[in-house]
Formats: sequence, structure tokens, C-alpha cells
Amino acid sequence: MINPVARRGAVALALSVALTTAAAGQDTAAAPLGPPTAIVVSGPEQGMKAPDFLLPWADKNGVGPDDAQFSLAAFRGQVVVLAFYPGDFTPGCTAEMQTFADRYQALFGDAVVVGISTNDLDSHVKFAQSLGLPFRLLSDPKQRVSDKYGAKGTEGHNRRVVYVIGKNGKVAWREMQFVATDPKGYDRLHAAIAAAEAAK
Amino acid sequence: MAPRFRRRALALAALAFSAAAPLLAQGPGKGDQAPVIAVHDLDGQPVDLGQWIGHKPVLIEFWATWCTSCQALMPTVRAAAAKYGAQVEFLGINVTVADPKAQVRQFIAEEHPPYRVLYDDEGVSQRAFDVAATSYVVIIDRAGRIVYTGTGGSQPLESALRRAIAN
Repeated sequence: MINPVARRGAVALALSVALTTAAAGQDTAAAPLGPPTAIVVSGPEQGMKAPDFLLPWADKNGVGPDDAQFSLAAFRGQVVVLAFYPGDFTPGCTAEMQTFADRYQALFGDAVVVGISTNDLDSHVKFAQSLGLPFRLLSDPKQRVSDKYGAKGTEGHNRRVVYVIGKNGKVAWREMQFVATDPKGYDRLHAAIAAAEAAK
Repeated sequence: MAPRFRRRALALAALAFSAAAPLLAQGPGKGDQAPVIAVHDLDGQPVDLGQWIGHKPVLIEFWATWCTSCQALMPTVRAAAAKYGAQVEFLGINVTVADPKAQVRQFIAEEHPPYRVLYDDEGVSQRAFDVAATSYVVIIDRAGRIVYTGTGGSQPLESALRRAIAN
């Protein structure tokens, strides 16, 4: 039997190997090793149950009531889009949320949409007002939910990850590296929502 | 730990990660060769960036008309283009999200941005350069190697351009 310390060491080593393998082809012998060029992600995959959660929210009209936090389970029977993003008022997130707002009906139809970042509720209200966002922004400062969904990034920010949760509460689609500036990413999201709406 | 246990632990750990935790590639960064791709202009005509990348220094800004950081950066880009425009190709690739062509054309008419405007509605360049945000700037030297990447309304473009020209 391997003792726990040895096991942790082996796992760390294996992770290190995995992270640096992708970089190896790009680095020259003389160049110092830079940051890793690949990252490991986790979170529920397509077909798996979406972990339930409860988070406080805000929208352009203000902060939601304490006793009515957003509960994923409460929306069972509806398609839900979870958009994890790094932070309010950053260029990438503005690109993403602006596009969501501009194309809201065409992109999402009847789906329930929420953005999730580590920002506090006051920031969310200002961000939602600045872009006129027609959906809620959830506050997850300790990244408990983003961790469950494999969206926890470095330095206290989420990575840009989008999930479509089906009416059955299972993951219908996910994109673990959503590119806010890529128009094709929104097309894929729209197709995934349409498929989830059509599914029983 | 005995070598055979160590090997087994490594194999198990690698297997666990490969099965449950996919690796996501990151885009090209400083020191990497810039991807040579083709995008469209506002008229829908293909524009091959290979006509510049690898032949002369290139500055690419990924932008949108609604991007406040891009607007903040505009004077810096304008000053750089005035100083280095003869040596460096300045390209502004509109990311096209929430930015219809008519809006872009109006912006060009009013603001006269200091770069050749391209319109990548296929997202080819956004994926190739892993563009996380508008105002993302990539500066490429004559050999096609990336010497600078950055985002935001205030960026040290001039020093990076001097490096790109000197290389």
C-alpha cells in the first residue's frame, strides 16, 4: 500500500508532467520555462447531474432578497445557462455579457441565464446597470460553486466557462474555455440551448 | 517509496487525470511564433495575414466599437502608428461580437482608427490567438515571433514596438 504522503507526491508529479508536456514542444532549450501552456479542468461532464447550489444575486434593478437566493434546483424543468466569468467591468467579461444582452432573445429564448463571478452584489448591480443586462448575476466570493463546476481559476477569479443544464437537471453541454470574443462560441451555445429545449 | 509502487502511483495518477480532467490548451504567448491565418475585411474579402507576418513587424489589436478599453488605448495606438507606421503593419481585428458591420463602418467614418480594419466574423483569429478580451494587443517581430501581448487601456506599446523593429 502506498502511504498518503508518497501518493500525494506522485499525484503532484504526475500533474506537473501533464502540465508541462504541452509546453515541451514549444520551449527551446535555452528559453526559461514560462507559465504552463495548458490547464487541468474538472467539473460535471455532459450527462452528469449538475450540482445544486444556492447563491445570492443581483440584477440591474438591485440586490435580490436574502430569503430568495438563486437555487438551481428550483429551476428543474427549465433549461438553465450558467456563465462563469472572471470579473465585472473587465474587457472580456464586458464582451461576453454585452453579447448576451444584445442577443438575449435570439440566443437564449426561454432559458434561464445567470452569470457567476466572485464580485460582490453591489458590483453586480453596477455592472448589470452599465450594460442593461436582462438577467441575474450571482455572487460566489469563496468560489464554492465555481469549484464544483471546474470553473475556479487562479488569483481568486473564475475562468470563463459556460454550462447548459437540461430540464432534467443534468449537464446538456459545457464549454470549459469559452472565448468571449469568438462569434462561433455563441453559435455553439445557441445550438446547445435549442437542443436542450427540444429534449424531453 | 519502492520504484514499482512509485511507477504504479504515477500511472494511476496520470490515468485519473486523463480520464476526469481534460487539459485545455492555452494560446500563443511571448516568444512563440505567431499563427499565420486569414480573416475577412468589412467587405467580406479574405485577407491573408501571412503577407505581413514573418515579413515585417506587425501590431494587431482585437477591438470592438463598444470597448471602452480600446477607446482609452486609441491615443497610444495612434501615436505609435504615427511614429512607426512606415516600419510596422498596424491591424485592427474587430471581434464582431455585438458589433454589426454598419456600426463598425460608422465608427471608422467618425474616428478614423489608425489601423487597417479587419472583421473576423468567423472567429479564426480569436481562436488562433486565444483572445480573451477586446483591447488585446499582439506585437510580432519581423521573424514572426510574438514579442508582446497585453490587454487594457494603458499599454507600453512603444517599447514593445522598438523591440519588434530591432529584432
